[in-house]
Amino acid sequence: MIIMNEQEKILTEKESLDLITQMINKAKDACHDTGIAAIMWGAVIAICSLVRLSELHFGYRLPFDIYLLTIVAVIPQIYFTIKEKKQRKVKTYDDGFMDSLWMGFGICIFLMIYTTSAMYSQWDPAADEYRKLTGNAYPFRLYEFTSPLFLMLYGLPTFVTGVSMKFKPMLWGGLLCWVSCLVTIYTPIKIDLILVALSSIFAWLVPGIIMEKDYRKAKSELAQANV
Amino acid sequence: MFKELDPILHSQLRLAVMSLLIGVKEAEFTFIKEKTNSTAGNLSVQIQKLKDAGYIDVIKQFKDNYPQTTCKITKLGIKAFEEYVVNLQSYLGGT
Repeated sequence: MIIMNEQEKILTEKESLDLITQMINKAKDACHDTGIAAIMWGAVIAICSLVRLSELHFGYRLPFDIYLLTIVAVIPQIYFTIKEKKQRKVKTYDDGFMDSLWMGFGICIFLMIYTTSAMYSQWDPAADEYRKLTGNAYPFRLYEFTSPLFLMLYGLPTFVTGVSMKFKPMLWGGLLCWVSCLVTIYTPIKIDLILVALSSIFAWLVPGIIMEKDYRKAKSELAQANV
Repeated sequence: MFKELDPILHSQLRLAVMSLLIGVKEAEFTFIKEKTNSTAGNLSVQIQKLKDAGYIDVIKQFKDNYPQTTCKITKLGIKAFEEYVVNLQSYLGGT
C-alpha cells in the first residue's frame, strides 16, 4: 500500500510504472456495479411468468393481474438508482451510456405494453364476434405472439451490456432471450411462459447474483487494503 | 536519446492522481484521497499544481448542502500522461 506523505518521494522509472498500474487497477476495482436491480427484475419477471403459467395450468385467476408487480417494482428501482447515484464518487465513461441504454429499454417496454394493450382492445371484440358467429375459436391467436416481442426487447440491452462490459453471463443471457424469441413464435403459450421465466433468470437474475458477489468481494478487498 | 520526464507528473502523488483519473470520466476529491491514502492538505496542493499545468479541471459545487470537489482530466492532461508513459517505457526498455 502506498502512503502519500507530505514530502514528495523521488520515483524511479520502475516505481512510476508500478504506481500507474496500481492506481489504474484501484480505479477499475472501484467501478464495480451492484447487481441488485438485475436480481430484482430477473426475479420479478420470472415470478410473473410462472404465476401466469400456474393460473393457466390449474385454471384459477388471482384477484389482480400478476404483471402489476412490474409496476410496483419500479418504486424500489427508483430508490436503488438514487441511492447508487448518491454513493457514486467516481463516474466512468460507460456510466452515461449504460444509464441511457436501460432507461431507453424501460421506455420501450412501457410503449410495448401500451401497444399490445391497444392491439388486444381491438382484437378481443373481433375474436368474440367470430366465436358467436361460427361457434369456433378465432384462428389467429394474438396472445401467442406477445412473448416473442417482449423477449426480443429483453435481449437488446442485455446483449449490449454484456458486450460492452465484457461480462459473458449477460452476453449469453441476451442471446438466450433472442433464441427464446424465435422459439416462442412456434410454441404454445405455456411453453412461452416457461421460456420467458428461464430467459429472465439467465439474462438478469444469475448475472445479477454474479455482479453482486463481485461487487461485495471488491468492496471487502478494498476495505482490507485500506486498513 | 532519452527525453526528460515531465516534472509535473514525475512526483508520487501527482502521478497517482493522474493515473486514477486517466481511466474514469471524473472522480470526487474524497475518492482520490481514499485511493491515494494522502492527507487532504497535501492532496489539495498537488491537485492545484495539476490544475495550474492545465492537466486537470477542478469543479467545485454543492451536493446535499455539502461542498463537493470533482476532478476531471483534460485533453492536455491525457496527452501529457501518454507522453510520460512512452518516455518511461523508453527508459525501462533502454531504447
